[in-house]
Amino acid sequence: MEESGTFCYQRGTVSVETKDLTKVYRVGTQEVRALQSVNFESEQGDFVVINGPSGSGKTTFLNLIAAIDRPTSGEVFIEEQATSRLSEGQLAKLRKETIGLIFQTFNLIPVLSAFENVEYPLLLQRIPRVQRRQRVAALLDEVGLADLGRRRPAELSGGQRQRVAVARALVAQPKIVLADEPTANLDTETGKRVMTLMRRLNKEHCVVFIVVTHDPVVTEYARRTVNIRDGRLEDGGSNVAAGSTA
Amino acid sequence: MWLRVPLRSLLRNRRRTALSIAIIALGTAISLFVLGFFADSTRSIQETTVQEFGTLQIAAKRFWDDTAEGYEYLLSQQDLAQVEAILDREDAVVSRSPQLSFSGLVASGNSTKVVRATALVPGNKTLDVNDLVVEGRGLEPTDAAAVLVGRSFAEQLQIRPGDVITLTVTTVDGAFNASPLEISGVYQFTSSQVESQQIYLPLQFGQLLLNTDGVDSLVVMLDDLDSTQPARARIQGGLDLSPSGLEVKTWDELSPFYEQLTGFFNALFGVVTLAVSVLVFFIILQVLTMSFLERTREVGTIRALGTKRGEVFRLFFAESFWLALLGSGTGIAFGVVLGLAFNAVGIEWQPPGTVEPVVLGIRMTVQTAWLPFVVSVVATLLSAIFPAVQAARLQVAEALRVT
Repeated sequence: MEESGTFCYQRGTVSVETKDLTKVYRVGTQEVRALQSVNFESEQGDFVVINGPSGSGKTTFLNLIAAIDRPTSGEVFIEEQATSRLSEGQLAKLRKETIGLIFQTFNLIPVLSAFENVEYPLLLQRIPRVQRRQRVAALLDEVGLADLGRRRPAELSGGQRQRVAVARALVAQPKIVLADEPTANLDTETGKRVMTLMRRLNKEHCVVFIVVTHDPVVTEYARRTVNIRDGRLEDGGSNVAAGSTA
Repeated sequence: MWLRVPLRSLLRNRRRTALSIAIIALGTAISLFVLGFFADSTRSIQETTVQEFGTLQIAAKRFWDDTAEGYEYLLSQQDLAQVEAILDREDAVVSRSPQLSFSGLVASGNSTKVVRATALVPGNKTLDVNDLVVEGRGLEPTDAAAVLVGRSFAEQLQIRPGDVITLTVTTVDGAFNASPLEISGVYQFTSSQVESQQIYLPLQFGQLLLNTDGVDSLVVMLDDLDSTQPARARIQGGLDLSPSGLEVKTWDELSPFYEQLTGFFNALFGVVTLAVSVLVFFIILQVLTMSFLERTREVGTIRALGTKRGEVFRLFFAESFWLALLGSGTGIAFGVVLGLAFNAVGIEWQPPGTVEPVVLGIRMTVQTAWLPFVVSVVATLLSAIFPAVQAARLQVAEALRVT
């Protein structure tokens, strides 16, 4: 397993910020407080792991940062832009250009090949064909799948699918990558490989990685770990020994 | 993206896609078959009508609206010369022939029968009744007191070529006139009514019987049915330059039966197509709704990646568009094969009031194919709107939670 041991962290440049972020779900007559007044900040090039058990609110938190859900109250700032003021179209643009997403179950489009899955975000951005192909090929090479571009997701192993998903999250050169339980469906060894890859990419592309997980192994890769319980964040400290500032 | 993703999505559940294509294709083929049958029947009726009336007829307005006293409507030689001059300038005119129609009473032995007599120029190809002769011979330019009778008429009066009948008419002066006529031949027509009532004799002899040198109308044959309306407009324009009081009628105006029948065919085709389209609409709506619902999580994913609602709608709509094209295209191909097979079998049917059975046919042209094709495509696309809108309006976070 390759271990770079460094991050592309730049203190003072805030990429993601939440203020008093609250999300309440209504289940029948009951109100479920999934998040309660969460304040969070992540700076450029950060690699944050949000650790918590099932039902602690970590996926809800990630969805709010990813602008795919709206908070009950509070605010999310992405690159100093308040997402609550954005229309549906502007939110889609934000997700397309600024945020890369990695899902627990990979969520690749089954009818597209690995290459086409990675290419998809660039098609949305109407990047010219030649440039598109170069970027996809380079990223697939970077995640070690240069020879498997023609394969459909069903023809790939779990680890390979997650690497395709990582390449897809990075291809549009986002500033923030959000990963929801990226190792949950992988065996330990493959999970470690994917995390190593993500940390290498964090360093090389200087992209913020926010990873939510309940896998203790994942926390080893974090520059900073934050615990979440019952919808509240608790600072879990930094892996200072493993990380460094740029 | 608009080609690759939708087409591959169609291949994702091949059995369901095949079923959808089969449903659309069946609907399209049924519409094509029905329209092809009506088109073929209409074409046959057009040909029969033109054979009976010519493409155009020119006569006095009072002749058409039946307001003339006696034979006031007859065209003089001067009128004829004026019309001939106009027709000489019309390229679409293939032939023309004056004719004189009148009623009379035919007697043969102890039998008498009221008939409609048409006196025409023997040998003129405009309305060549000689082509219809099945017994004896046709009228020839040298014939004088000769007559062609219909097969039904001959059977009713038990007469045959060579026999002599007596025709009694009223002259233009109001006097009675009668003359023996030798039956030169017996003709057959599609309508038994025409066969039993209509007789043909040489124009000169008809004029002699009526004591006139006039005719009631000029029959015109054009090179193509499509020339009918433009030629009619030009000829009518020429006639209107002088106060002749003449009016041009087209073949379809001369046969009210034609308009009634085409109206009936159109209504029937509309009902069949509507029923088929509604059926296709609801079945495809059901299939697409299921298909799109199964991809809720996928929609959540592509929306999370930044795909706009409109783009999701377009993706799903494009999928339906390809489905519609494939289904309708297959339907046209299937309909053509079905039509060819039907035409090859040569099924016969005898319509009411006709003397001979006709071979039923399916007319397959671009004109009969495009309407069923377009109707099926539209029905399929309409059925896709609701599920595509539903897919586009999914909440991203909720869609991603669907397993």
